[in-house]
Amino acid sequence: MSAGASNPEYVNARVRSRRAALFADEDYRKLVRMGPSGIARFMEETEYEREINQLGTRFSGVDLIEYALNQNLARHFEDLLDWSNGRVYDRIARYLRKFDVWNLKTIIRGIYTDTPAEEIETDLIRAGELEEATIDRLLEVDEIEDAIEVLGRTMYYEPLSEAYEVYEETGVLVPLENALDREFYEHLLDDLGRPSEGPDALYVEFLQAEIDFRNARNALRLARSGSGLDPAEYYIEGGVLFDESELSRLVTDYDELVDHIAESGRYGDRLSTALGRLRNAESLIQFEHALDAALLEYSDRLSSIYPVSVSAVLSYILAKEREVENIRAIARGREVGLDETEIEEELVIL
Amino acid sequence: MAKDVKPTRKNLMAIEDRIELSERGHGTLEKKRDGLIMEFMDILDKAQDVRGELSEDYDEAQKKINMARAMEGDVAVRGAAAALQEHPEITTESKNIMGVVVPQIESSRVSKDLGQRGYGIMGTSARIDEAAEAYEDLLESIILAAEVETAMKKMLREIETTKRRVNALEFKLLPELYEGQEYIEQSLEEQEREETFRLKKIKEKKEQEEKEEAEAEEAEEAEDLEGGQAPPVGSAAGGN
Repeated sequence: MSAGASNPEYVNARVRSRRAALFADEDYRKLVRMGPSGIARFMEETEYEREINQLGTRFSGVDLIEYALNQNLARHFEDLLDWSNGRVYDRIARYLRKFDVWNLKTIIRGIYTDTPAEEIETDLIRAGELEEATIDRLLEVDEIEDAIEVLGRTMYYEPLSEAYEVYEETGVLVPLENALDREFYEHLLDDLGRPSEGPDALYVEFLQAEIDFRNARNALRLARSGSGLDPAEYYIEGGVLFDESELSRLVTDYDELVDHIAESGRYGDRLSTALGRLRNAESLIQFEHALDAALLEYSDRLSSIYPVSVSAVLSYILAKEREVENIRAIARGREVGLDETEIEEELVIL
Repeated sequence: MAKDVKPTRKNLMAIEDRIELSERGHGTLEKKRDGLIMEFMDILDKAQDVRGELSEDYDEAQKKINMARAMEGDVAVRGAAAALQEHPEITTESKNIMGVVVPQIESSRVSKDLGQRGYGIMGTSARIDEAAEAYEDLLESIILAAEVETAMKKMLREIETTKRRVNALEFKLLPELYEGQEYIEQSLEEQEREETFRLKKIKEKKEQEEKEEAEAEEAEEAEDLEGGQAPPVGSAAGGN
């Protein structure tokens, strides 16, 4: 937690200029017509210039674009944490912990597969709350157990220690990865209560949507896979769409699960088209696409209703993430030969 | 070759035995070849189906992984792939199709459920699940294709070998044996004719000799008869 009084006005003022630099719809339309090298050149003339130039000697093609996007994202989000104090810092940091979780998972996977530290480091997105020194120390260890010890003074120590016992029994990383993801989601709503109005209410609603959508994705994936996994193990508390027993029951009946989401007052209308397609579709991808779009819609509301609250900052975070995902999707899509329509329909969310 | 054989009755019998064996072998090999071809045609159909499925599975897997790389990023996909160290287990046994030993490949732990893929479920998406599933299907198809195509190649090799043996018997060994048989038979016949001729000649000679002997005897007898009427020359000379 950062010391000092909360400063949402200052952070929002700084964020506004950053938001203005985000790619507009017409930029995406231009990018969709370019090849990977054209996209890299285009990025060189924008916000991404520094990262493209910095990484240009080490990477090329779409890898250059992807690493430049990740590095740029990390730089912007680190700035947000630098600018903010007090409650604003706390609200931003708790959302950016997803990058800590990403980094910890990447490091643990690297240790698990004996990947050299330099290669692991390349894949990190240093945008979270964890200190640089902690990440550097993590990169030096050779055993997962030692990595957990390095995290001794962080919130991840306890869940990882518990999951480590299961990991030792099974030999697969699933318990460790799930413990990290669960830790992120379950602390999203810490100390926020259930405000009924004002910017906090909107902020909480957004985070609840994030948790609900994650629960919905996991439930649908479990229902589809027909695996004997215990749904309760993947249930995240804090959402409004399911409670634990409901989710465990619904996972066994795919159609009922889809009905339950469709009948939800909060999300039913937003997701009705995607849910209609989902009943007969073989793939969950379109539904996940619809969830991403719905979440983005939420984030737009966050910025427009309370423009100087932390919600507006969160909205910027989501918009920036979306920009990175869109550019990466276009570049990768072009690399593998997808045509403009396919990229626009299946990949880009505007 | 035929001329190298000594034209004896014993060799003729040996050649006749070899001909009988070769003809029987030729018939059996022809049947084996036809049977192998029929089995091969079945395997070929299966191989074509498997190849088609393999090609479809490959396209599907590539599409799925491309989509996952596009939406989740290459780093996330690589990360998810790195979360599993365990490799599928592949064991090979063998089975016999008309004397051809072909492999039977058994695989385990190729298709996995969500909990066995190594990556955490909460932090990943259906795109990664579908890419992983598509690659598991592809691996299953590759294993099946490896089994069927290896069997097909082995069958093809066996058909070629059998065909060569049939052809060798039909166009090389048997004609040579027939030629040898004919040569020996002809030679024996020739020898027989020569023998008959020789015997005939001997007989003729003998008869000639006998005839000459008989004639000589006759002449002697005639002389003897003539000598009874006139004194012998010796006695006349002795009288002088």
